[in-house]
Amino acid sequence: MNLPGLAVRNIYRNPVRLALTIAGVAVALLTFVTLRTAVMSWDEAKNYTLKDRLVTRHKVTFVMDLPKNYADDVRDLKGADGKPLIRASTFLNWFGGKDPAHENDFFATIAADHTTFLTVYDEIKIPDDQLKAFNETRNGAVVGDLLAAKFNWKVGDNITLESPIFGARENGEPWAFKIVGLYSTTSKAVDRLTFYFRWDYMNDGVRAEAKDRVGWIASRSVDAAHAAEVTAAIDKRFDDADTQTLTQDEATFFQGFMGMVSSVLAIMSYLSYIILAILGLILANAISMSVRERTNEYASMKAIGFHAKTLASLILTESTLIALAGAIPGVILSYLIVDVALGDFLEYNLANFFPVFRVKIWTYAEAVAAATVIGLLAGIVPALTVARLNVVENLRRVA
Amino acid sequence: MSAEQSKSVGSAISIKGVVKEFTRGGQTLRVLDSLDLNVPEGSFEALMGPSGSGKSTLLNLIAGLDKPTSGEITVAGARLDKMSDAEITAWRAANVGIVFQSYNLLPVLTALENVELPLLLHKMSSAERKKRAQIALDIVGLSDRMGHYPRMLSGGQEQRVAIARAIVNDPKVIIGDEPTGDLDRNSADEILKLFEQLNRELGKTIIMVTHDPEAAERATVIRRLNKGVLA
Repeated sequence: MNLPGLAVRNIYRNPVRLALTIAGVAVALLTFVTLRTAVMSWDEAKNYTLKDRLVTRHKVTFVMDLPKNYADDVRDLKGADGKPLIRASTFLNWFGGKDPAHENDFFATIAADHTTFLTVYDEIKIPDDQLKAFNETRNGAVVGDLLAAKFNWKVGDNITLESPIFGARENGEPWAFKIVGLYSTTSKAVDRLTFYFRWDYMNDGVRAEAKDRVGWIASRSVDAAHAAEVTAAIDKRFDDADTQTLTQDEATFFQGFMGMVSSVLAIMSYLSYIILAILGLILANAISMSVRERTNEYASMKAIGFHAKTLASLILTESTLIALAGAIPGVILSYLIVDVALGDFLEYNLANFFPVFRVKIWTYAEAVAAATVIGLLAGIVPALTVARLNVVENLRRVA
Repeated sequence: MSAEQSKSVGSAISIKGVVKEFTRGGQTLRVLDSLDLNVPEGSFEALMGPSGSGKSTLLNLIAGLDKPTSGEITVAGARLDKMSDAEITAWRAANVGIVFQSYNLLPVLTALENVELPLLLHKMSSAERKKRAQIALDIVGLSDRMGHYPRMLSGGQEQRVAIARAIVNDPKVIIGDEPTGDLDRNSADEILKLFEQLNRELGKTIIMVTHDPEAAERATVIRRLNKGVLA
């Protein structure tokens, strides 16, 4: 028997309280790990964007469109030395399509210029024969392999979509597409859950005032190291035009596009620390109750010759051990729920937001370290109380 | 221990002019009034007196659990009134064994582990601690109950474990605070026999507070305290 052994024995005195405390710590840590992982995954999404890929949109808002000829102007932009600044560019429109058969399932539908699209998004891979079919089929669409699997779509399927943005086709016919290919990607910068179709098919069907308008222009700068100068040069090109532009690198554009979610994640970040505070209160309550019930024993131990410091250490060991006892199931639960179950679900269904949703080793370490430190802090007040305990009064002797 | 400690040769406990006052509700209450006491080494003394007479206060001062308002207290050669709290705590661990009325054993520890408890304060191997605790339990006649938890023992057995815990450090002085107060007559008799044995065979100085005249009769000296003054 030794003092840490005595601390362990004390922990097991009240099994029900111990189980509830461990459960409380485990759930608090699970919540902490979930929130931290969400925040970190969001940040990580930026890491998959390309530094040389630039996005040009209307200066006022993403919702407003640009003249199509801007795409030519961007592609032809040259530096002061006369050399090209852009090595590839394309243009796209957000279509906002919905499949009436899957009314409640969101997926991105984007009209892309099929002649230039893959020069800018070269991480998208389409088999040659399917790419050939895409180029030859005006209403052809290529969809992410994960999206196809989700809706059980196959090459050759005919799909009809509705667009709340553009309404029906100008001729009154529905927006009918033929799936001619399935794409995969070599990078997480592009999700595998988007429905791409030819921009010219969209342009054919929209009302006269929406024709030859593009949602945004995506381009690749010749030199990634000078992307900032190129974005400024693009916007400067349209400074005196009726419609001014805002060009950003892909990471900034991505963040701006998801601005509202970003605020939510900032709140989640704060919440994760609030969870730690709650964890501290759970532990402090459990330790305080346990120590208060044993005041007499601590008084006896002091009378036997135990120093205040020794007893304080005993209590701090106890509180830290309880925190660690909760941290272990907390980490296991986090792995099973966040890393395995939630990770698979989010990466599959919300790849745009969370291309990688996995708990980092660092987050586990952070959770265990936080539990340890909080366990220690939670024991401080009870430890001080016992250290200052008046032996005579607490032995309850009456003279 | 501090350099100011002095020896009182022949005396296990020497108290000179000790005053102990408590302040309650703004009023100062003098519990011990210029008390003098000399307990020779190897004696077995009983301290009696009505409730509120100051006997437990005196016992707390002798054990170093409390400090006098004024006066000198020398126990096992150490001037307790001159020592810091930390010094007294360390001194108490080595020199005094305390037996409480309500045993105060730790319920999560076995009899053997409860007896080992004071030895954790000393640098000693686990095997040595265990050996000493076994000897102490053997002395109190509980070598067959070493693995029992307090809840598995009778009141008398619990008190014997508490006595084993008190003697395991081989202290010079054993202090009993109503050690038979919670026990029936037979169990009390066993405890008192044990005290006599510790006094007679191991030469321990024992001072015991009791309300029980029969228990007091077993001591070699009976002292009576009344209103903070020894009769």
